[in-house]
Amino acid sequence: MTLQALVFVAAAIFGIGVYGALSQQSFVMIMMGLELMLNGTILAGGAMWALTTGGSPKGQMLVVVLMTVMAVEAAMGFALVIGIYRVRKADITEKIKRLKG
Amino acid sequence: MILNITFWAFSALAVFSGWRVFRADSMVRAAYWLLVSFAAVGIILVLLKAEFLGLILILMMGGEMTIMAVFMVAFMMNPAGLNPMTMVHRHRIAIVAGVVSFLAIAALGLFARFPVARAPVGVDPTRRLGVELLGDSMLVFQSAGVTLLAAMIAAIAISSARGRYGDADEGSVEPTQLVPAADAGETAEGTQPIVGGRQ
Amino acid sequence: MNALGVVIAVVTVAFVAAAGVYVTAWIDLVLARAVAGLEMRPLDALIAPLRWAAATALKARSTTERPDAEAWALAPALLAALAAVGLAAVPLAPGLLAADVANGIVLFGAAMALVVVAVFLQGWSPNSPLPMIGGYRFIAQGLSYEIPLAVVLIAAALPARSLAIAPIVTSQEHLWNVVRQPLGLPLYLMAGLGLAFWGPLALPEGQDLAGGSSLETSGVSLVLWRAAQLLVLVAVAAMGAAVFLGGWLGPLLPGAAWMILKTVFLLVPLIATRHFVARVPTERYVIVSWAILIPLSLLDVFAAGIQALVAAR
Repeated sequence: MTLQALVFVAAAIFGIGVYGALSQQSFVMIMMGLELMLNGTILAGGAMWALTTGGSPKGQMLVVVLMTVMAVEAAMGFALVIGIYRVRKADITEKIKRLKG
Repeated sequence: MILNITFWAFSALAVFSGWRVFRADSMVRAAYWLLVSFAAVGIILVLLKAEFLGLILILMMGGEMTIMAVFMVAFMMNPAGLNPMTMVHRHRIAIVAGVVSFLAIAALGLFARFPVARAPVGVDPTRRLGVELLGDSMLVFQSAGVTLLAAMIAAIAISSARGRYGDADEGSVEPTQLVPAADAGETAEGTQPIVGGRQ
Repeated sequence: MNALGVVIAVVTVAFVAAAGVYVTAWIDLVLARAVAGLEMRPLDALIAPLRWAAATALKARSTTERPDAEAWALAPALLAALAAVGLAAVPLAPGLLAADVANGIVLFGAAMALVVVAVFLQGWSPNSPLPMIGGYRFIAQGLSYEIPLAVVLIAAALPARSLAIAPIVTSQEHLWNVVRQPLGLPLYLMAGLGLAFWGPLALPEGQDLAGGSSLETSGVSLVLWRAAQLLVLVAVAAMGAAVFLGGWLGPLLPGAAWMILKTVFLLVPLIATRHFVARVPTERYVIVSWAILIPLSLLDVFAAGIQALVAAR
């Protein structure tokens, strides 16, 4: 469970998240891609805390902040999905081409 | 030894379930494959002795993935996966981007020189986190709290069905959009909206 | 952490779980007969749960059209596993703790937060309308009980200055938490009822849904589902006994006996609510939970914090 192995796994999860966020058409699936990217980041952050900072609590603070970011992003993403659907009746990215509205 | 086997098993599970998220036909299954990925990362964090963070991750993601499953059912046309379908665009570019980002970060992890300082055994990381949260990083903690509150209020404001001038289902319209009825006089109904009035 | 210790821990938890589920089923049956005015026949009530389990397990398994078969088979097993993890976090006697983690409260909270997943899967998988409504109702219920449950447990952890359960029990040597935090135990029991979807909070399985989320379940899955639900109730009662009623502390009897007595003392009112209180409507429960129970739980943790500050001086 070396640092290299952990960052390797975190990079794999992050890469799958990037693929998902770029390739999916549905809003909720894009959000799943973003969540996977944050998942990889949290794993990398936790690994760095455990193996390079010597257990400094500031590393744990970073992971707590990342979880906060994940919660905020999920909440706002879901709210915007509902808002866009109400105004434009669009649930996939192909249906909205303009920012106006 | 057992630690390494457990770590590799859960890492493989995290990556595999992350991949299955985008291959599942049933949308509820996609949401719960994501939960499996998060749970695997949470268990790896517990193995790294960040027990509090790992368990909090699992706690958060249980509720969040259930909400995501509810959203899938609401917004996807194929929630139960009864018909196989793929909804992708720019597939090749996305694969290339994913592989490039994976290689870049993995190369960073393999070839960069990081300081080596393992967490000391015998010090409770939860206690240190608590002292840090309410001590040196109190400002960060408070800001995160206020950010979460703002996100809650914003989400409710955007998604609320109740507009400023009444329920959305009853045609909540601004008063400036309303014009007096054609037969002016002592009509009890009063005004009609410009767009889509009541018949 | 050697292999023998793990095996002993697993066997102990399984034994306690089975005993707890059996005792809960027996108490439920005896209370039902007493409330209905029938003769209680407690000895016959000892065999009745086993008879029901055997009869249900042998019935023909019915299925629905295009269910999510893997998730449907997973849901009762997942609920049972989560309840067992919650029970493993409770110390039965000083030194007898299956899951000896430094964050026992968080382990219990995480296991109980995932119960929503199990009940939603149980409601979603049959591909049938009434179970799906039951699953959705449980999501509303689950999000509502989670915050009071977590906050009240944290308030109980404050005097012990630790998130592990064993220090919380030993911190009650002079005064039980139910006395110095009076809001804690009622709020915890209400949240626990919601967690086990029992009695007045049996929203996913109500009569207006003709059985709700377990409507289409039959055979061994139904036996496992009911057993898992009773196990959640046992885990809630056991954690409440450890955290609020002083766990294994007591004068004459050994620690494990006190733990059993206190768990049963909490189990009886929990089970009795099913026979005395009607099921509440979902909207009313959600409004009461967010508008009344959460402020009360915040008041509880505030009071516990003030007590801890005063005691630290």
